[in-house]
Amino acid sequence: MQPWRLRSAMRGFVGLVVLSLVMIACGGGASQAPPSADGSVGPTTGPTPAPTAIPPDQVTGSLSVLDWSGYDAPDFWTDFQTTYPKVDVAFEFGISDADIYGKIKAGSQADVFHPYTGWLQFYVDEGLVEELDTSRLTNWGKVPESFKKIGQLNGKQYFIPWDWGFSSVLYRTDKVSGDITSWSALLDPKYSGHISMWDDGPAAVTVSSYIHGYDETAITDSQLASIKQEWSDQARLNVAYWAAESDLVPLMQSGDAWVAYAWQGAYATLLGEGVPVAYANPTEGRNSWVGAYGIRKGSPNYDLALAFLDQKLGEATGNNLVSLYYYGSANGDVMKGITDATLKQAFSVNDPAILDKTNFTPNLTAAQRDAWTTLWAEVKASQ
Amino acid sequence: MIHARRAGGPRGARSADPRRRTFWAFALPPAVVLAMLLLVPLALMLALSLREDLSGTLLAPFEPTLRHYRQFLATPAFLRSLGLSALTAGGVAVIATALAYPLAYFLAFRAGRRAGVYLVLLLVPFWTSYLLRVMAWKLMLGGEGVINSGLLWLGVIDEPLSALLYNRVAVIVTLVYVWIPFAMLPILAALGRIDIRLHEAAADLFASPAQQFRRITLPLSAPGLIAAFLMVFIPTVGEYVTPLLVGGATGTMYGNIIQDFFTRAANWPFGSALSMVMLGLTIVLVAIGLRVVNPRRLLGT
Repeated sequence: MQPWRLRSAMRGFVGLVVLSLVMIACGGGASQAPPSADGSVGPTTGPTPAPTAIPPDQVTGSLSVLDWSGYDAPDFWTDFQTTYPKVDVAFEFGISDADIYGKIKAGSQADVFHPYTGWLQFYVDEGLVEELDTSRLTNWGKVPESFKKIGQLNGKQYFIPWDWGFSSVLYRTDKVSGDITSWSALLDPKYSGHISMWDDGPAAVTVSSYIHGYDETAITDSQLASIKQEWSDQARLNVAYWAAESDLVPLMQSGDAWVAYAWQGAYATLLGEGVPVAYANPTEGRNSWVGAYGIRKGSPNYDLALAFLDQKLGEATGNNLVSLYYYGSANGDVMKGITDATLKQAFSVNDPAILDKTNFTPNLTAAQRDAWTTLWAEVKASQ
Repeated sequence: MIHARRAGGPRGARSADPRRRTFWAFALPPAVVLAMLLLVPLALMLALSLREDLSGTLLAPFEPTLRHYRQFLATPAFLRSLGLSALTAGGVAVIATALAYPLAYFLAFRAGRRAGVYLVLLLVPFWTSYLLRVMAWKLMLGGEGVINSGLLWLGVIDEPLSALLYNRVAVIVTLVYVWIPFAMLPILAALGRIDIRLHEAAADLFASPAQQFRRITLPLSAPGLIAAFLMVFIPTVGEYVTPLLVGGATGTMYGNIIQDFFTRAANWPFGSALSMVMLGLTIVLVAIGLRVVNPRRLLGT
């Protein structure tokens, strides 16, 4: 290419870049204008368009749900499917709470999303979630008050609670001798090469807080430094970190991992596969978390999304959640109806002492989120 | 618009040149695609890396800050990870290129008319997805994998070797495997361009095969070698899928750290800053490499 041509080509290029940037900026600006300007869809409007005007089984439309992989299984939303058979539900996935938050923040068009305790406040602070009109939720009365409170932020109901469960130490009873009674098993060199920690900074900080008796809502800088050192030393004890339950289950099943940070879903799956596993009751207490559903601010499908949330709390859906996946349901009737002995054990329904000393997950602040995730990145980078 | 402005300029006469119109007709679509899909995201990423945090409207004006770059420079773990990833990428690129050379040599000079068939056979694994091939290595190296089962059956070991999978070596082995065929192609192209009469002339002058290789084949294929090295090195510096699958807790690469700041930390500004640093380092390393090696001298021009 001759020099003059190269130069003019370069100039053309720069022009194009500028042009594209302008186009993107304009496009972005336009898309930010709320499609319905807080009007027709908001819960605060006067006469709400009655969703029951048309019989539910005749309602058409489409709904997009940003969820965790696996929750698209029809078991998890069967009530909605049977009540609104003509509504198309499309799922998109996030791999972590941070991922789901990032996607919503970056302008995901999902109508409904599924964050967990710890991450709820950010959506409210950033104006990313619609307030819920709970008077239109037919199953709302079945939700215990303590659960409702989890979705109440700044005095308003932004989320419905849906699933809950424990985090604790899961271990292979045939590989580990004796019972595991402390979170510190995850850092025990005795299990070197056979530990699998969850790939998550806040979880690591939380575990350390339990072990050392730190107040996890007020971790000091020096505590944070020792936590970083602790997990840096722990890294080589892992066979691998796990990012999704679908990573953890095969690791435990093959016997590569003996001791792992885990949710009860993995415990249930492994028991179902006949793998000899136990779920520890650490003296420091288990961790407990609650999952919530919210409606994205500006969603053009507010009514359908609200109906989806309502049906999520339905009995059949709740029963599936409990019996197939060992997660607790926010529908109190479902939990009262549990008779299966294994399930009672999984939820510690028979042993209130376990629930009494459970550590509930507090909401993270932005500063904690950034500090704890950076700590974890440093742990991984230092290997 | 651009044309109109140019029409009055010193080169106005040339805009009537039909060759120039043809040039733009062909160059414009790819230029637009590149600008929209490469340069714009890159510019957005640069902008993101200068943000304080993710709060507020993403496309609104903001006060730029170098905070994230300062934090990166103040964190030894991240600097070390970047250096280690560059070293790993360099190692993978050297090994893959070295292993690809004999393959390419065979295809260019020895395979004869079957060369096409061999080439296709070599590329067959690449008809499946990248993920699948990396997963295959998990099956090879795992506790109940092919290598461990084989050694157990032979009685060489009593219990599975856990050192095969989930570490940095596993990452390097897998990456080398993945890149060999790609490294082979530019070398093959360079070898294919060598005039066979040069070898005949050398043989006439009593050059030994080793001398012929050292004085003719190797120098003439050097551009292909460099291309192969760069083709492996550049994408491997930022690699994250392979370490994610086979690297375990101790085989993390810089690309994973970047990914974590996007998907596990909701800290896009810091992740963007890490990306920009990596981009800068790669450009500098490649520029230095090309300056040191000087492909033009190798080409003999």
